[in-house]
Amino acid sequence: MSDDANIPGEHEDELLAAEYALGLLTPAEHATVGARLRADPALRADLRFWRARLASLDWGFAETTAPAAVWPRLERRLFAEPARGGWWNSLALWRALSAAALAVAVVAIGIDLAMPRPDPNAFAAQLVAALSAQGSDVNVVALYNATTGQVRLTTISGTAVADKDYELWAIEGSNPPRSMGVIPVTQNVDVKITPDILAGFGPGTTLAISLEPKGGSKTGAPTGPVVAAGKAARI
Amino acid sequence: MGTDTREIADLIARCALRDRAAFQDLYGRTSAKLYGVTLRILKDRAEAEEALQEVYVKIWQRADRYVPGGFSPISWLVAVARNHALDVLRARKPQGDDIDVALDVADAGPDPEQSAADRDERSRIDRCLGQLDADKADAVRGAYLDGYSYEELASRHKVPLNTMRTWLRRSLLKLRECLSA
Repeated sequence: MSDDANIPGEHEDELLAAEYALGLLTPAEHATVGARLRADPALRADLRFWRARLASLDWGFAETTAPAAVWPRLERRLFAEPARGGWWNSLALWRALSAAALAVAVVAIGIDLAMPRPDPNAFAAQLVAALSAQGSDVNVVALYNATTGQVRLTTISGTAVADKDYELWAIEGSNPPRSMGVIPVTQNVDVKITPDILAGFGPGTTLAISLEPKGGSKTGAPTGPVVAAGKAARI
Repeated sequence: MGTDTREIADLIARCALRDRAAFQDLYGRTSAKLYGVTLRILKDRAEAEEALQEVYVKIWQRADRYVPGGFSPISWLVAVARNHALDVLRARKPQGDDIDVALDVADAGPDPEQSAADRDERSRIDRCLGQLDADKADAVRGAYLDGYSYEELASRHKVPLNTMRTWLRRSLLKLRECLSA
């Protein structure tokens, strides 16, 4: 190794990755390396090396009970906000959430006001939710029809994935996701909502689409990446 | 993977499906560790508390980025907390650079080399740090655990900035060699 202050250039990137991972750099340097990382897979590999190794130091962070006020604030912040701006606001939110997912999808849940409905209170307003994810061209709109008890999924664009199926899930509050079955993304389809899912269906219901093995999840719970999710909200 | 690790991974997966009960459970099990992270780095209770809240907002929003089988789930959560706390240090408040932060989180993802048991990894990094001069090893630990930058390390060790940079870069090369072996 050189005795000079100058580190041999061939190691420059390895060192930069270490410095970035450790957080040694000035904000400006950090931002520069961050920008390079986006376009440089070799540098990202160096960073992964350091992050994986340095994570062994995590035990050094002593557990400290979090102040009791944090959870209620967090809950209010995440869950008690009115759906400001409705659909568009949600779209921006969901877009940020799912950049790693495989497909781009938009799910909109519309509840038709003109239709007879089992529970006037639950469906007194039109409900809509949206999600998009980078990396694919799938766009789906879902419309709930109270008369038929079905959700119509209309594909705006979409591509099937070899040896995989998309599966639709309904999530009520804190309950585990319940499968609504495997869905195609290359054609429009009506999905029958089973009575047990229908019972809780309304504002607050989340519909999610995950990518699963052929034929759907074998475990009864989602196992693959979530490519779309929409939480019903009043607009 | 131990039972606890599997359960944490499962809770993160359920958060990706907007399962609030899973999120609350995850918070209950991991908030002490993550508060430990933000408190150690920010060294201010009010700031650490605020940061902890932001960290869990990110976890809720980005749970779908966690890839089971890669980074251990706790390491992933610690990485989210640590990166956020360092952002706070760098800017006094989060820079709001979603792309950069997202990359940070995504890059903490799958690593095929991350297969050794945590205990082995811990003894390995301890052994490798042990091969450095004590003050250099302290500087590496200080950067990782306390979020010290080159400037802070230089002032703590009472050496010029460039000296600290040169010392530490040499030490990092040695460390890399040892950790790769």
